[in-house]
Amino acid sequence: MTDASDQHTDGNAIAGILQEIFVAEFTTLERTCQSCGDRNPAGAHRSYRGAGIVLRCPHCNDVALRLAVLPDQYVFELRGAWSRRSEIAGLAGAE
Amino acid sequence: MPRRAPLTWRVATVARLQPETPSATTLILDVPQWPGHLAGQHVDVRLTAEDGYEAERSYSIASAPEDPHLAITIERIDDGEVSPYLTDELRPGDPVELRGPIGGYFTWEVADGGPLLLLAGGSGLVPLMAMLRHRAAATSDAAATVLVSARSWEDVLYRDELATHDEHGVTVRYTLTRRQPPEWTGWAGRVSAEMLRELGADRPEPLRVFVCGPTGFVERVADLLVQLGRDPHAIKTERFGPTGGS
Repeated sequence: MTDASDQHTDGNAIAGILQEIFVAEFTTLERTCQSCGDRNPAGAHRSYRGAGIVLRCPHCNDVALRLAVLPDQYVFELRGAWSRRSEIAGLAGAE
Repeated sequence: MPRRAPLTWRVATVARLQPETPSATTLILDVPQWPGHLAGQHVDVRLTAEDGYEAERSYSIASAPEDPHLAITIERIDDGEVSPYLTDELRPGDPVELRGPIGGYFTWEVADGGPLLLLAGGSGLVPLMAMLRHRAAATSDAAATVLVSARSWEDVLYRDELATHDEHGVTVRYTLTRRQPPEWTGWAGRVSAEMLRELGADRPEPLRVFVCGPTGFVERVADLLVQLGRDPHAIKTERFGPTGGS
């Protein structure tokens, strides 16, 4: 018998499928929660697998991402403010 | 490392298998056009049956970015769908389908600096070992403290190698949760606040903290660290699920 609190993993565990969808590294994307305002990288979010995948805020547990895997497509929904900082090619280190 | 690269499946070849514990084996792989990785990243491994059925699992990379081969350490789950094949059936020369490297959050580079506090439950040691190997290969002098929690001494991965790191600026401590050898002088039982305090987790100075292992282990250790006053945003965690894989 496994404790129910042991069933989840985190954003790292679904990083492969999300990189497949976004064609970019996903776990370092920052998200500000629409409910509690806490800001965390995607990798720090809790991940629950059932009929689909749900990512939840590590602070308040509200839904951050829902992903359904259908036979021929992925359907996903993002919640909260997601952001990424990335260097402009050729200008790295030029600041 | 290119950040915007489509994640493609590659066929690696088993170069060598190295038994680590009675239940864990390291696969040492040749991967064509491997783009390089960061310590802490993982790969997805895909098995395809003759009828087309596919099973995918994620495994942390154990080797340092500097190593010529890619190594993943697999904990055998007896009723698992994937791990018994990888640990028991594969032979040198066999193909293994994988994609990666994956993940950028749970990673450490020498340039990030220390001091490091690495907390491992069972096979959660694998990505942390990649960090220690990277630290050694890059001759970093970042202070590192490692706590390894395992069921018994026989279950501790990389025991001999950890002892060599211990002589080079890394402090390694163990807690054995189920069975301790006679005259055991390490800790026994689950990770406690006292253990973490003794490792310096309650000191105010900044620490790069990485916690990896089964979900219950990670939740418990992260909670203890927050109770000791550490900023939850400065604790990087990676959870393997209830048993730590399949």
